[in-house]
Amino acid sequence: MMFGPRVVYGFRPNVQISFAAPFYITQGEHPTGRSTAMMPSIPEAEVLVGWRFYHATPSVSTRNEATFYAGGSATTQSLPVSNSPPLQSEPALYVALAAGRVARTYDIWVGAGYQRYGEWESGEHDHRSNTLLGSLAVGWRPPFLNKGYPKPDVRFFWETTGEEVGMARSRRTPGSTGTGHGHDAVPTFPLPSRSAVIPPFPLPPTEILRNSGGATVFSGPSVLCTYKSVAFQGGILFAAFEQLNGRQLHEDVRVMVGFTYYILGRRK
Amino acid sequence: MICIFKFRLRLVLLVVILMAAAPMHAEYLRIQLRVYGLDCGLCARGVAASVQRLGGVNSVDVSLKTGLLEIVLSPGNHFRMIDLRRVIRENGFRSLEATVTAVGDFNASSKFEVAGSGETYDVPRPAARGHEPLELTFSVH
Repeated sequence: MMFGPRVVYGFRPNVQISFAAPFYITQGEHPTGRSTAMMPSIPEAEVLVGWRFYHATPSVSTRNEATFYAGGSATTQSLPVSNSPPLQSEPALYVALAAGRVARTYDIWVGAGYQRYGEWESGEHDHRSNTLLGSLAVGWRPPFLNKGYPKPDVRFFWETTGEEVGMARSRRTPGSTGTGHGHDAVPTFPLPSRSAVIPPFPLPPTEILRNSGGATVFSGPSVLCTYKSVAFQGGILFAAFEQLNGRQLHEDVRVMVGFTYYILGRRK
Repeated sequence: MICIFKFRLRLVLLVVILMAAAPMHAEYLRIQLRVYGLDCGLCARGVAASVQRLGGVNSVDVSLKTGLLEIVLSPGNHFRMIDLRRVIRENGFRSLEATVTAVGDFNASSKFEVAGSGETYDVPRPAARGHEPLELTFSVH
């Protein structure tokens, strides 16, 4: 289980900056890839700049827009997992594009993103899986919930998200079996902190973890409710397709709940 | 010394009274503005809060179904339509036609000038009128 605080500030009508820093609140196996388009799935501090480069308001209650996101992240927490050493991840870059049409009755959003960690080519350090993701969300506000402001605003979504997670790589350490961080990986001790070790000999070679990465598609319902300056969102996504490399934990369901407070200024 | 102080005090009071009597403030009374792009309660709340911050605004009502902002202004406000349209744009929405009720007078160019705001509108001049400021309701685009 993870907790993911995120702060967003819009300092121009079409430019915003967000800071997210999710962290583990329970240990164990966690999925790689990303939790959401705007939230890493491992403990990282991530800064994203969003630029809404297209924006149109063709009619009452209808808006079309497209936003480009770019940013970077760095690891903040590296906890041992049940069956392998934690990977020491290098900083990552992330770019994403989201576009949608919003109206009073129906919404539709599409998005795609790519997160890439450093140090793949040099082969001297751990490397977490790069992730390519895409998503589609269709929203619907039932007529009986189509209330005016300031009554609570509720809409339902069906979201489908797919991700292609690349291979991870671990720096080989003496005593490890070298089979990766899947179920059959049985390293005998965790990797030492890089900053605490000055190797007296050349760094050991790295190996690609066979039991890492794969392709998955999750799909399921979610709800968004806003009232005054707060928003509550929650969703449950079920595994619709899963093609994992080697032997890894199987994911059946992902659950997300969120709470947002908007600082909108003085209101009489 | 006391007399000089009293004289200065009276002078200051006189200046304040004269400034208050001059038409320094705008006399928009009510504005009904159509806005495109409002689709959710948070959008409405954000726009209402931004309009409220302009000053001189007594109340703001937003209809998501019609996209209409109903703004009632306080007497003696310094409100300007150009500022209203700017905050709508900065919130990411588009303002269109408006129905305005305001107090003002026709200037030398035969345009209706809202008192103190410097904003003028092409409005048909009423047939019969005195020299007092007029209260008119008109549409603008």
